[in-house]
Amino acid sequence: MATQHSRAAARFMIAPSVIVLLLWMAVPLALTLYFSFLRYNLLMPGENPFVGWENYSYFLTDPAFQTAIVNTLILVLGVLFITVLGGIGLAVLLDQPMWGTGIVRIMVISPFFVMPTVSALVWKNMFMNPVNGLFAFLAGTFGMAPFDFLTQAPLASIVGIVSWQWLPFATLILLTAMQSLDSEQLEAAEMDGASAWSRFWYIKLPHLARAITVVVLIQTIFLLSIFAEILVTTNGGPGTASTNLTYLVYAESLLRFDVGTGSAGGVVAIILANIVAIFLMRMIGKNLDA
Amino acid sequence: MARAVPNSRKAINTAVAWTIAILIFFPILWTVLTSFKTEATAIADPPVFLAFDWTLENYTAVQERSDYFRHFWNSVVISLGSTIIGLIIAIPAAWAMAFVPGRQTKNVLMWMLSTKMLPPVGVLVPLYLIFRDWGLLDTRLGLVIVLTLINLPIIVWMLYTYFREIPVDILEAARMDGAGLASEVIYVLTPMAVPGIASTLLLNIILAWNEAFWTLNLTAANAAPLTAFIASYSSPEGLFYAKLSAASTMAIAPILIMGWFSQKQLVRGLTFGAVK
Repeated sequence: MATQHSRAAARFMIAPSVIVLLLWMAVPLALTLYFSFLRYNLLMPGENPFVGWENYSYFLTDPAFQTAIVNTLILVLGVLFITVLGGIGLAVLLDQPMWGTGIVRIMVISPFFVMPTVSALVWKNMFMNPVNGLFAFLAGTFGMAPFDFLTQAPLASIVGIVSWQWLPFATLILLTAMQSLDSEQLEAAEMDGASAWSRFWYIKLPHLARAITVVVLIQTIFLLSIFAEILVTTNGGPGTASTNLTYLVYAESLLRFDVGTGSAGGVVAIILANIVAIFLMRMIGKNLDA
Repeated sequence: MARAVPNSRKAINTAVAWTIAILIFFPILWTVLTSFKTEATAIADPPVFLAFDWTLENYTAVQERSDYFRHFWNSVVISLGSTIIGLIIAIPAAWAMAFVPGRQTKNVLMWMLSTKMLPPVGVLVPLYLIFRDWGLLDTRLGLVIVLTLINLPIIVWMLYTYFREIPVDILEAARMDGAGLASEVIYVLTPMAVPGIASTLLLNIILAWNEAFWTLNLTAANAAPLTAFIASYSSPEGLFYAKLSAASTMAIAPILIMGWFSQKQLVRGLTFGAVK
């Protein structure tokens, strides 16, 4: 039983974490909000007058913003589509009896541990390069003209690279969930003559539902903030063809040094992320009670 | 009772799974192989798979091009430093929440989690300016601070899910046997907590090593860890595939190996205990 004494000690032990996180949250957040209402450009020193919603109207009506929102959605949804479907398929497959499960698993999860700048550069140069890349060689052996992935289909190429990085995550989580499925239930269904497909559709898939939701939500949080992959492959281009919201805010703030507009963009990004976060928090919170 | 599976089906599963796994793993394998080729062989048409003269020249070239090991060392310092400081702050908190849960414990945990949902770009500008004004830009100290803070919620959560599994009855039994608080902590709790702490350490080193938003935005030549250093290969310079591969291989090898050992913890850590 917790006593008065141990409660005080507990509070004392929790305090450092809470205080540093509170500072980390509150200070920059308040500053972002504050800057977003100022005309503030690092290249133009001097006064930073209060300009109300000007930065927001500038940011939100910038054609690049609409492109960035669409690109962000394509990036998130595209990667989710590929990794969730692929992850379910791989989880079902790896759950089957086979030789060398351990090595197969290690190979499948490996891309997750490759740092984003390395995977992006390896794909960009050694695979997607239209002259020296492996894909160009493969196209050549089939008599096709090489395809300049990052110029002609920049966003799709980035979706591909990011999917390669996140497929292992989806697979690993769904496989873990799959292995907690009671095998007797499956065997009973098989005895009753259920086909492989109906066993998948009526037993395995419903069992995975929760894990799929977790994968979707967690990946969305990370995918909204994709940055390094874009920076080293396309720099958001050509034009703004592969600029997502994160990259646009980065460009406003640290390339054009427009602190005011960049901050307004940051606030927009926070609001969007929060919409996803609310659902994720609910899922995890429920689990905490269990 | 698991039934015996006919070998023919097992063989099909094996063939399909290995094919897919090798395809997924191929870019990593190709990078490692290319790192041992000469630049000319690296872009040979048709590509050479294994039958080439293996060379280590790229590994020395990478070090000469710019001080590779300084960046490697930066990665080590930043990922280890942020993880260890994070653990020092988080262990007492997770401990208290797991063993002396109060009415607010759940709220505190959920709130900590919510800080992780904050998109980094939302605080990029003020953090950049604070770092500039305090002289923290392009320093290892600055990155250690930021990475400690962004990973702290994950550390607290992971430790919490591990500590919560330690049966409290054991504590009471120890108390019955006359153990004081100190010996309780040293002889009973610590040995049971060590595996959880080790897993948390491992996962967080991996996360910090691969973090590529703050490392790219807050460092330049001096404190750049490997994530930011490798990005300097994004502007091509003559033939560079083999050197890029060598730099990449060294950057991912230690983490890849750690990752293989931490598959289970990865699931728990990254889903905040929602999937175990």
